[in-house]
Amino acid sequence: MASLDDPGEVREGFLCPLCLKDLQSFYQLHSHYEEEHSGEDRDVKGQIKSLVQKARKAKNRLLKREGDDRAESGTHGYESFSYGGVDPYMWEPQELGAMRSHLSDFKKHRAARIDHYVVEVNKLIIRLEKLTAFDRTNTESAKIRAIEKSVVPWVNDQDVPFCPDCGNKFSIRNRRHHCRLCGSIMCKKCMELISLPLANKLTSASKDSLSTHTSPSQSPNSVHGSRRGSISSVSSVSSVLDEKDDDRIRCCTHCKDTLLKREQQIDEKEHTPDIVKLYEKLRLCMEKVDQKAPEYIKMAASLNAGETTYSLEHASDLRVEVQKVYELIDALSKKILTLDLKQDPPPHPNTLRLQRMIRYSATLFVQEKLLGLMSLPTKEQFEELKKKRKQEIERKRILERQAALESQRRLEERRSDLASRATNGEVVPPRRGPAPLRKAEGWLPLSEGQRQSEDPDPLLQQIHNITSFIRQAKAADRTDEVLMLQENLRQLQDEYDQQQTEKAIELSRRQAEEEDLQREQLQVLREREWEREQGQAASLHTRTRSLDFREIRPFQLEPGREPRTHLAHALDLGSSPAQSSTATKTSPPSLAPEPFRGWSGSPALGQEFLPQSTPSQRSEAPSLNPFDEEEDLASPSAEGTASPPAPEPSLGPPARLLREYNPFEEEEEEEAVAGNPFARPDSPAPNPFDEEDEPPPRTPASLPVPGNPFEEAPCTNPFEEDSDGGQEGAEPIEEELLLQQIDNIKAYIFDAKQCGRLDEVEVLTENLRELKRTLAKQKGGSD
Amino acid sequence: MNVVFAVKQYISKMIEDSGPGMKVLLMDKETTGIVSMVYTQSEILQKEVYLFERIDSQNREIMKHLKAICFLRPTKENVDYLIQELRRPKYSIYFIYFSNVISKSDVKSLAEADEQEVVAEVQEFYGDYIAVNPHLFSLNILGCCQGRNWDPVQLSRTTQGLTALLLSLKKCPMIRYQLSSEAAKRLAECVKQVITKEYELFEFRRTEVPPLLLILDRCDDAITPLLNQWTYQAMVHELLGINNNRIDLSRVPGISKDLREVVLSAENDEFYANNMHLNFAEIGSNIKNLMEDFQKKKPKEQQKLESIADMKAFVENYPQFKKMSGTVSKHVTVVGELSRLVSERNLLEVSEVEQELACQNDHSSALQNVKRLLQNPRVTEFDAARLVMLYALHYERHSSNSLPGLMMDLRNKGVSEKYRKLVSAVIEYGGKRVRGSDLFSPKDAVAITKQFLKGLKTSGYHCVYHWRSHL
Repeated sequence: MASLDDPGEVREGFLCPLCLKDLQSFYQLHSHYEEEHSGEDRDVKGQIKSLVQKARKAKNRLLKREGDDRAESGTHGYESFSYGGVDPYMWEPQELGAMRSHLSDFKKHRAARIDHYVVEVNKLIIRLEKLTAFDRTNTESAKIRAIEKSVVPWVNDQDVPFCPDCGNKFSIRNRRHHCRLCGSIMCKKCMELISLPLANKLTSASKDSLSTHTSPSQSPNSVHGSRRGSISSVSSVSSVLDEKDDDRIRCCTHCKDTLLKREQQIDEKEHTPDIVKLYEKLRLCMEKVDQKAPEYIKMAASLNAGETTYSLEHASDLRVEVQKVYELIDALSKKILTLDLKQDPPPHPNTLRLQRMIRYSATLFVQEKLLGLMSLPTKEQFEELKKKRKQEIERKRILERQAALESQRRLEERRSDLASRATNGEVVPPRRGPAPLRKAEGWLPLSEGQRQSEDPDPLLQQIHNITSFIRQAKAADRTDEVLMLQENLRQLQDEYDQQQTEKAIELSRRQAEEEDLQREQLQVLREREWEREQGQAASLHTRTRSLDFREIRPFQLEPGREPRTHLAHALDLGSSPAQSSTATKTSPPSLAPEPFRGWSGSPALGQEFLPQSTPSQRSEAPSLNPFDEEEDLASPSAEGTASPPAPEPSLGPPARLLREYNPFEEEEEEEAVAGNPFARPDSPAPNPFDEEDEPPPRTPASLPVPGNPFEEAPCTNPFEEDSDGGQEGAEPIEEELLLQQIDNIKAYIFDAKQCGRLDEVEVLTENLRELKRTLAKQKGGSD
Repeated sequence: MNVVFAVKQYISKMIEDSGPGMKVLLMDKETTGIVSMVYTQSEILQKEVYLFERIDSQNREIMKHLKAICFLRPTKENVDYLIQELRRPKYSIYFIYFSNVISKSDVKSLAEADEQEVVAEVQEFYGDYIAVNPHLFSLNILGCCQGRNWDPVQLSRTTQGLTALLLSLKKCPMIRYQLSSEAAKRLAECVKQVITKEYELFEFRRTEVPPLLLILDRCDDAITPLLNQWTYQAMVHELLGINNNRIDLSRVPGISKDLREVVLSAENDEFYANNMHLNFAEIGSNIKNLMEDFQKKKPKEQQKLESIADMKAFVENYPQFKKMSGTVSKHVTVVGELSRLVSERNLLEVSEVEQELACQNDHSSALQNVKRLLQNPRVTEFDAARLVMLYALHYERHSSNSLPGLMMDLRNKGVSEKYRKLVSAVIEYGGKRVRGSDLFSPKDAVAITKQFLKGLKTSGYHCVYHWRSHL
């Protein structure tokens, strides 16, 4: 109950508001509450109220976050800058602004216009067809004229005194000419000619568009032909004078314009410029990348995390594929950049700009995406990663379990605390001493009973359950179910075994840590001892003693803490005079470590007992001196004599401690057992659960720094592996990497050149050269 | 109600609707500015828009393999240009978007010009204003009034801008305007007219409390724009000048070629976004942090890249580094120039006196300080004129007003006629006769702020309308 106010403790889940017991679900909590607390006449309401308020707050927070997410998705693509006090996210989600389309109106007007235009063009083309339908060269001019007049009625000469286009007066010298397509009149200057090939092209195109498409090779020829035709016609001066058009048709500018437009349209339909073809390919590649890259990144991330969802080979295949596409993008964009660059009339600046822009955006694309492509682990690395992940999972499981145990233990302590308070709720000092003892006594049978009756480990419980299920199923003759259950059982057992192994590892690690702490502590002690022996004043004497005492306290509270901080802590406390004065009382036990040091021969190991066997006291007796109980035993041998071994007292406390605290928590017990200086040198075998006899990864002595072995081992390994494997094992990957880097750098150089940053270009070129050299060297080495 | 986002959404929609393929963006002078404020080049490049052309540029090549997105203001010239364009189309297909309401007759003449059926879309997208910040837009109008009356051209442009703003945010507002200002009233009427005329457009989902369009005339507070500003964006605007997020640094002594003109856009520059409203001192320390960060990330040029891992790290960090180096050099230059100007123009002292003139009522000390600064050769004529303007506005009806004396001082200092005229102009524009309330009494200032806040609360909508009246 008191821990509700405990600031350092944050607990989640379905906690009973009164006893803070963690219940697995709401319903369990409800029933628990009904059962346990219905009779209690405390002011439950207030507590529940506060709890409800807390929950509401938490809920609000969560909901708010959700709301933010929603807003974010609403305003997608919007960078999340704070805008100095103005936060756009605070504003309501914004939809696309209003718009209005005029397209239907536009189409209506256009349709009316287009109809007119299309009819006009078609009329001209039909006439043109008629004009070119007969063999012009072999027909008399008079006959031609007759045919031409029949196609379209000619305007009367008298009606048109002036050329409608240029306004010149017609005379004998400035003669009238008729447009063969519309029959209108113009002067010679304003007259246009349509060559037969052009006419053929126009008429055949419209015919083809009705039947089949024109062969693409035909159109350039006909364009060419039209030019040649007009030249040859100019050369035959006589025919002009003759007004006999062998291979061309006279028309007015308007008709010619319309026809030329038509021709242009025909040309465009058939012709796609190179840039478009290349660009289409480029876009295809980009789409491919957009498709494949996320898939690959997912794979690589999973592989790099040591998961086995995807196969390494498949991923590296995909990587190669994606990289090839990148190369293709690069090549294509380069090709676009240099397209038509060497043509004689240099292309329009806009064309060049377009090409540059496409190249630039392709470079951007490659840069952005390629860098997102993480590298794959090599086979060796992958194995390592797999292992690491396994360990990680195990560790998580252990942590969870530890947390569960911790909470359970705390709960129990609380109960015992209550009990002890109830039994001896007298003055504080007398309570202090007996409290742990009482607690230990009170708990001995219970925890033991707990261990015997039901396994504290949920896994073990389940195993029991399943075995009983199997029995039942067997009895009921349900073989398939038995099989299934057995399979389950096997899995469970495996997991349990693993867990136990991990636990053993964890324990030994802790030991190593603590041992180191002890060593440091001892070092300090020794120094102080030495100081004391230098014959210092009594006040100093008490101070060091108090220091000793203090040192152990924080240490007990935080066994996993770094020795250095611990030391600092100790010094800190020690230098505070107020504390030292209160501590003088307890000066005798502060010497307790010394006999241990003497006794075990290995001082660090001996002292280890103190913190390990006492953690049960930490929570409920904050000011309790852990040595209180040992006082009688330890003090006789302690005073002044540091070196002579004192086996009796020193053996006493550990044994007693073991006896007392063993059952309290198996974890603790194991620790104590494993930490037993007599047993440990042989093997970690004392650990009752360590069936596989897997040795802890590191013997405590070899640990230079107390660190988590789970972190340490994988941390160092991959890097070592990396450099090793990189130089020997994984030659092709490295080469590929190098090539990729070279490509990247080339892209940067290009970019830098474009922006005119010459210094950068230099640096980059230098790098590039370096890389190439490395590549060459590697190649040489591998060959 | 984020104006930057509103315009950006419009542009994105245009580009999306045109489908895949190479595109060219055809704009006029104003829409170029509108687009450039919300989109960077590299951003728009990734949407396959590779060319940016002005509709009035004659030197455009026929590129039938490009799609054209035309984003134009619906002006007469633009429609004429477009008609010419459609008669002889240079691109394969045209998507036409007008930034405001276009008349039916214009649509008709465009349709008749489209003989080759190249137009695929004609729409109105109301991005007809320059979105500066999410909560601030401008129309880039210099001098909207002649004396106290609207310049009719600018009135119509302002009306268009405001209605476009309302449409892009999908708001049909209640309009409030400053009663004392004839100009505000005219504008309010014009906006209302448009809303009534185009009522179909303004049919949005009704909210319980209608949004409020508040139109204020700067004449009610002519003081604030005369004060020197000390926050980043405001200082840059005041001392260097911001034109569509671009800052011209060509006058900075010893400026490198790359930094002649820099872009400060909160959309793409995180440092700027986070610091634009911070004051100058804070900017200084933030710049220092930025520099330190940068130093850490900077690849050591001397250090050879020895291993593949080094190389890889370098290549991977390079783009980030490059981007950061751009940001760092830009801000360092800008802030350096600001602080140079501050010390060169003695702005700290000037600003102190300005604050005194604006906030305190001690005539004799104010006068003394102004006189002292007018003697200071480092104070520019512009700042000197501003001081006198502030004095004139504050102590317009003071019994011992010595404005003529100060004017003499200005003349003696060699301040040009142009600036000296401003003093009388500002009194005419924002003097006591015009102001409804007493601007200088602190009680009122608080009350005004309160009212303003209240207005914000009730309306949930505010429009910081940049009234740039340069007389």
